[in-house]
Amino acid sequence: MGHQISRRTLFRTASGLAVAGALGPALTACAGGTGAGSDNGSLTMTWWGSDERHAAYKKALATFEKNNPKIKIETRYSGYDGYFDKFNTQVAGGSAPDLLQMDTALVAQYARKGILAPLDSYVGNSLDLTGFSKTLLAAGTVDGKLYGVPSGIGVNQLTVNRSGLEKLGLKLPDREWTWNDLKDIATQVHKKSGGRIHGVDDGGGSTLQCFEIFAREKGQPFFSDDGKKLGFTADTLQEWWEFWASMRKDQASPPPAITSAAHNDLTKNAVVIGKALFTFDSGVYGAGGSITDAQLDFLPTPQGDFSGAREGNFVNGGVLLSATKASKKTADSVKIMDFFAQDPTAIEDMRLLRGIPPTEKARSLISAGLNETDRRNMAMADYISQRVAKATNALPAPVPPPKGADQIWDLLFESNLAVAFGKKTIKAQLSEFFDQAQNILAG
Amino acid sequence: MTTAKTDGAAGEGPAAPASPAGPRERARLRRRAARRRGGGWWPYAFLAPWFVGLFGLTIYPMLDSLYLSFTDFDLLTPARWIGGQNYTHMFSDDPVFWDSVHATLLYVLVSVPLKLALALGVAILLNRPLKGIGVYRAAFYLPSLLGGAVAIAIVWRQVFGGDGLFNDFLGWFGVKGQDWISSPDTSIYTLILLAVWQFGTPMVIFLAGLKQLPRDVYEAAAIDGAGTLTRFFRITLPLLTPIVFFNLVLQVIDGFKTFTPAYVVSNGTGGPLNSTMLYSLYLYKKGFTDLQMGYASALAWVLFLVIAGFTAVNFVASRYWVHYDD
Repeated sequence: MGHQISRRTLFRTASGLAVAGALGPALTACAGGTGAGSDNGSLTMTWWGSDERHAAYKKALATFEKNNPKIKIETRYSGYDGYFDKFNTQVAGGSAPDLLQMDTALVAQYARKGILAPLDSYVGNSLDLTGFSKTLLAAGTVDGKLYGVPSGIGVNQLTVNRSGLEKLGLKLPDREWTWNDLKDIATQVHKKSGGRIHGVDDGGGSTLQCFEIFAREKGQPFFSDDGKKLGFTADTLQEWWEFWASMRKDQASPPPAITSAAHNDLTKNAVVIGKALFTFDSGVYGAGGSITDAQLDFLPTPQGDFSGAREGNFVNGGVLLSATKASKKTADSVKIMDFFAQDPTAIEDMRLLRGIPPTEKARSLISAGLNETDRRNMAMADYISQRVAKATNALPAPVPPPKGADQIWDLLFESNLAVAFGKKTIKAQLSEFFDQAQNILAG
Repeated sequence: MTTAKTDGAAGEGPAAPASPAGPRERARLRRRAARRRGGGWWPYAFLAPWFVGLFGLTIYPMLDSLYLSFTDFDLLTPARWIGGQNYTHMFSDDPVFWDSVHATLLYVLVSVPLKLALALGVAILLNRPLKGIGVYRAAFYLPSLLGGAVAIAIVWRQVFGGDGLFNDFLGWFGVKGQDWISSPDTSIYTLILLAVWQFGTPMVIFLAGLKQLPRDVYEAAAIDGAGTLTRFFRITLPLLTPIVFFNLVLQVIDGFKTFTPAYVVSNGTGGPLNSTMLYSLYLYKKGFTDLQMGYASALAWVLFLVIAGFTAVNFVASRYWVHYDD
């Protein structure tokens, strides 16, 4: 008789099994290991970008393969979201690509972990970097060694909806403008549009594009030279947040729900959805054209309004091409880097899709074929980089961001939102920000 | 008679034969006994893939993650033993950890009861001999089939965004909506709504349970004049408690592990202000984005213990409210 299962037992057993089955994956998802590199004949190259950038890369690589029939390239590309999550997993699993597009913000982290191959022994032999300036190469240099070849000049620019400004009867500000000028025009946009449009997207939590420049104008870098501390003071951040609080109060900047929706989602950017005319996000017009129909123009990040203000802008390296250390095809990867750095067909194929080309020669090569917006973009980048080169009081270019930098950038963003949503006072959020940042940099 | 159980491979006959049998008869008995005992090694060969899966893909990785939870493993360089630091850091100075605990508890404790109530309600409605009932059942189950899909979460983001369908709908009634997803006070409730909407799986199980309830009890109750509500609370619900319990346990576990909707709806940020930072999302971010795989492993083990704890409490509490008919 004992073989008949009672309903009680059945449910107990079934629940138990379900529990075991449900829990297993939660734990096993987190295990990993390191393995050896694989070798299947062709060279693997990965990048992130837009469709236009994908097409340009593929066109250029086809030319390369024709000239170098012995090298077969397997390409994998995607958007930025998840690109480095995937790279991390591949490195852990021993299937990292041989050659990859690298972010200037992350190159130091990967180089110091020994994931990337140093390129110094190739420079001057198979890797020709003639025409690359020292400051530009600094973007790929970590602890004195070169780990990535910059694709072009990257400068921080504000993107402006020029046609929108004209419609409101407003003039584009002068490129030598200050933070107060930004406030004036943003307030006017709100007034003249009858409250439909705020002026500029909320920059209070935006790091690279604006707060870093604001701090540098005061002579404070974002990170200390050894990367173990923040380089700016609480007073600086307080002044910054107070500026943006008054911007929100005057409706010169949109309310926090709009700012928050645009986090990690360019399609919700205030300029793209028509809620602002100025944005700090360079992605609205960048790798591969524009995601709005508006006619765009560009301006340097504003600066000044206080005594002793310094040049806050700086030049970095667009994106980089790096080779992985575990790869057995580094020599071939370097040939491809050299091709993108110097070959005229590659330079013409890539146009501005990876930043403003790095050398004078390359810039003159593409300037004839550019559309109007591209030309404006390149002219402004040129203007900013010349101003930076001439400045006598500018801080040196920032050190490569330390480990945990992206967590701190996120923290700045969330902190500004907490203030904007009214969940925290600026004072309370300041001490929380510095506590947590300290914690992240120490860990 | 113990020999019969232990001598298998030795090739002895079955339990010392009491009566003399010829060699042919003995061989026949031996074969029959072998069959009865399970037939030697070859069934295990068929089970081998399952064992490989169990040990290679579940038990070994679990133990490995337990080990990693005591290291500073960053996915890229070899792990270094740091003792209990991950665990102490988590509880003493990681505010985001507590944000994620708060979001997850809110999510589970609100969504599971609502989901089960809706599932039971709809199951009762669908337990009627209506024309075309199959179509209705399929229609109500549909959202669950789509459940884990990224596509649905993307649709959700559009529907509850600032200029989404939901606000258009509110607009018909003259109500001015807000951006439900990017406001920290409402974002978690859009995820809860998504979870409740996907009530199909518990509904199907409830439906199966309802089909098994004995008709004669209802007939007797009807004769005694019991109304619909009385029948539901006095007969249906008590008889159904084992199934409620089963669904409850499963949904609580599922709730704690929810990842996809939070990831997609918040664009992988868990924002605004960590309000949608469900535990699994935080764990994923720590492991794969912040490269703190050791810490992520520790988070996974805390989740394991918490789920085990909740489940144990459920089992203990079930003694007081679950009725079995035997």
